[in-house]
Amino acid sequence: MEFITVKKGKNIPLKGKADKRIEELPLPDRIAIKPPDFKGLRLRVLAKADDLVKVGTPILEDKKNNDIKIVSPASGKVVAINRGLKRALLEVVIETDGRQNKEELPVLPSEDVNALTRDDIIKQLLAGGVWPCIRQRPFSKIADPYDTPKSIFINAMSTDPLAIDIDFVLREREEEFQTGLNIIKKLTGGDIFLCCKSHAGSKAVTEAKGVKVYGFSGPHPTGNASTHIHYLDPIQKGELVWYIQAEDVIRIAALFLYNIFSSERFVAITGEGATKRIYKKTNLGAPVTHLLEGDIKEGMRYISGSVFFGTNVGVNGFLSFYDSQITVIPEGGSRKFLGWLMPGFNKYTVSKTFASAFDMLEEVSLNADEHGGHRAIVLNDIYDDFVTLDIMTYFLIKAVIAEDIDEAERLGILECDEEDFALCTFACPSKTDVGGIIRKGLDIIEKEG
Amino acid sequence: MKFIEEKLKQAAKLFEEGKPLAKFFPLFEAMDTFALTPGKTASKAPHVRDVIDLKRVMIFVVIALTPCLWMAIYNTGMQMQIAQGLPFSFRGCVLSGLKQVLPILLVAYTAGGLWEVLFAIVRKHEINEGFLVTGMLYALILPPTIPLWQVAAGISFGVVIAKEIFGGTGYNVLNPALAGRAFLFFAYPAQMSGDAVWVAVDGFTKATPLAVVAAAQKGGSAIAALIQAGYSFKDMFLGFVPGSLGETSTIACLLGLAFLLVTRVASWRVVSGCFIGLITMSLFMLLFKGNDRLAFFSLPPHWHIVMGGFAFGSIFMATDPVSSSATKTGRWIYGILIGVLVVLIRIVNPAYPEGVMLAILFMNVFAPLIDHFVVESHIKKRLKSNP
Repeated sequence: MEFITVKKGKNIPLKGKADKRIEELPLPDRIAIKPPDFKGLRLRVLAKADDLVKVGTPILEDKKNNDIKIVSPASGKVVAINRGLKRALLEVVIETDGRQNKEELPVLPSEDVNALTRDDIIKQLLAGGVWPCIRQRPFSKIADPYDTPKSIFINAMSTDPLAIDIDFVLREREEEFQTGLNIIKKLTGGDIFLCCKSHAGSKAVTEAKGVKVYGFSGPHPTGNASTHIHYLDPIQKGELVWYIQAEDVIRIAALFLYNIFSSERFVAITGEGATKRIYKKTNLGAPVTHLLEGDIKEGMRYISGSVFFGTNVGVNGFLSFYDSQITVIPEGGSRKFLGWLMPGFNKYTVSKTFASAFDMLEEVSLNADEHGGHRAIVLNDIYDDFVTLDIMTYFLIKAVIAEDIDEAERLGILECDEEDFALCTFACPSKTDVGGIIRKGLDIIEKEG
Repeated sequence: MKFIEEKLKQAAKLFEEGKPLAKFFPLFEAMDTFALTPGKTASKAPHVRDVIDLKRVMIFVVIALTPCLWMAIYNTGMQMQIAQGLPFSFRGCVLSGLKQVLPILLVAYTAGGLWEVLFAIVRKHEINEGFLVTGMLYALILPPTIPLWQVAAGISFGVVIAKEIFGGTGYNVLNPALAGRAFLFFAYPAQMSGDAVWVAVDGFTKATPLAVVAAAQKGGSAIAALIQAGYSFKDMFLGFVPGSLGETSTIACLLGLAFLLVTRVASWRVVSGCFIGLITMSLFMLLFKGNDRLAFFSLPPHWHIVMGGFAFGSIFMATDPVSSSATKTGRWIYGILIGVLVVLIRIVNPAYPEGVMLAILFMNVFAPLIDHFVVESHIKKRLKSNP
């Protein structure tokens, strides 16, 4: 293992860490597939209400490439197809029957995964519904099976606030993990980079073979895929890399070892609003109430994912496809008297303008309050300290706002994803949505090809 | 605080869409969020935000300016008492200072504030608290004798022409307070320069330290000329000399600087750059002092620092993040060039004994160019390191 230390960034000492103890939850009554999770796909629903489905039954397919399918993670009955504005698909809800019957998958030409060709593997990944686990950079969208990436990154770490310790989850899964890596290796002629925290302990990671293992240390966003790609194999215009979450490597392995769609998901229950904060083994698409085992309080915000990049799914929402964390924080929103003047001993800031900045708070309680009005950017030099990429953030977002796409590309937007700028948005006194601007820029570039 | 919240909630109804006062919503919003934080929650990720907001940033600059404001009041009063030959009295200094300074500050805030509110109403955006800083800065760089109508004219120019037509706070090229002063300087030189405007007593003339040095005999010693005119280093460091209101006291400026640096509101790179530029350039100029040269050549750097508006300008005006360079390297270059230009204008161009205002405005204009080169070199480096 080689080591890389990242200096820039910042860890927010948010209250509500989960204990590293895994408890298995029973199958939830309902699960949901949420089409907005799958960036880059234009999805069509294959199932109708009241259809009976099994684990692995295709529920959605991409309109452009019909081979890319989103499959059901549970057996049961489709009960609702929820749409939003302009009939955009929001949720396909499935009522589980508890039997978890499996869909028959095509038989592989060989039992030995090492004997399979690249085409065999891609065909099986698509048919088994595991393909959406593979995403690409630039644009952070689901990979195109017709592309060949210059390298593939496996992300076995997260530095998001209160994130799950993936290394811990991978313990005692060495064999499956290695099989997954062997399969993924066939997808590219280039390198496979396995990125983990520098003091990773699970053998699955430390003794992984046939891949380049890198240990990263440093504050958030060191754990983001963009940081790893930037340090190890940066992308230029016209190039692409794929990236996969370490947990999904096991999902890929299960498809080839047991010929099933594995719907397991480890979730860390975090945030000060949650009482029983531990790791839970559950099913993809599980509902929030189920994950929290009914521990629901008034005035809380229920986030699938981290406070930095998660989605506010609400108490009746479901776990998003790529998330392995539920964060519950107070909604906040109460108005404070003369907030601009008070010394603020208990207010968390990364600036030096509150008394708390000089007294290292060990853990902080944060709510969803924006703490100020939106303004034009004035302090334009604060962003770069929070970005691990070699990016001039202020000039990049100016280029995007001006829709000067050439300039944005020259400034390195293709290396970025909106999640990399969460800390910038957090820290900005003008409350600028830096990540949103980056996303807008990426969307324009993608659309214009 | 519930009481205030309730009252504001009731008042808010008057400013709702469709109500007669709807147009004045920005005005209400400003007062509303002045009393209580907005209390809006994040609509999407990131779901948590830092407690800092622009109100606090701007208020912190105003707090940093208070030592200068107090010195402005005190020194203005003191200069008047000296000129009138009155016996020293602390109370007298403060009272006559207040009488002179407060109207200027009030007119600057009112006239500028009116424009600010007007633009906010027409453009339907929230009132930007950046004006709290602009109004104060502007008042503090005026001579004490300035007619009040000129105060209003200058701030109007600064706010409207230098800021609002570019889009408001955050979009301006020039520092609005300095632009307003520059307008007055060129439009009404009689009230902005010369020897009669620095002490608020009718008919009384007294040259500022910079004017003394500029007028000193060729080949003479600048320091000797200053001492002869009654200006000691200590007086200038503490601020007991005639000059624009807030600029005279170096120590008050340094107090403000300490506050701005501890809270990291101002860029230390710009301030350091200004000082390095000024010190290097004035040392360099010392090499050229001689019998046929102006006395200014012989002025050592630490005298340059305490004279005129250098400390005030480099600490409070050059550091304006919007009109300065936005890159880290750019800020060094920008600061150093301001320091160099200040010395050049002071020494080489005796028509303007003071060069800080023009140096900063000049570099404001060049800041985007500096940034352009820094960004281009960054892009080249990027392309080289990821071939």
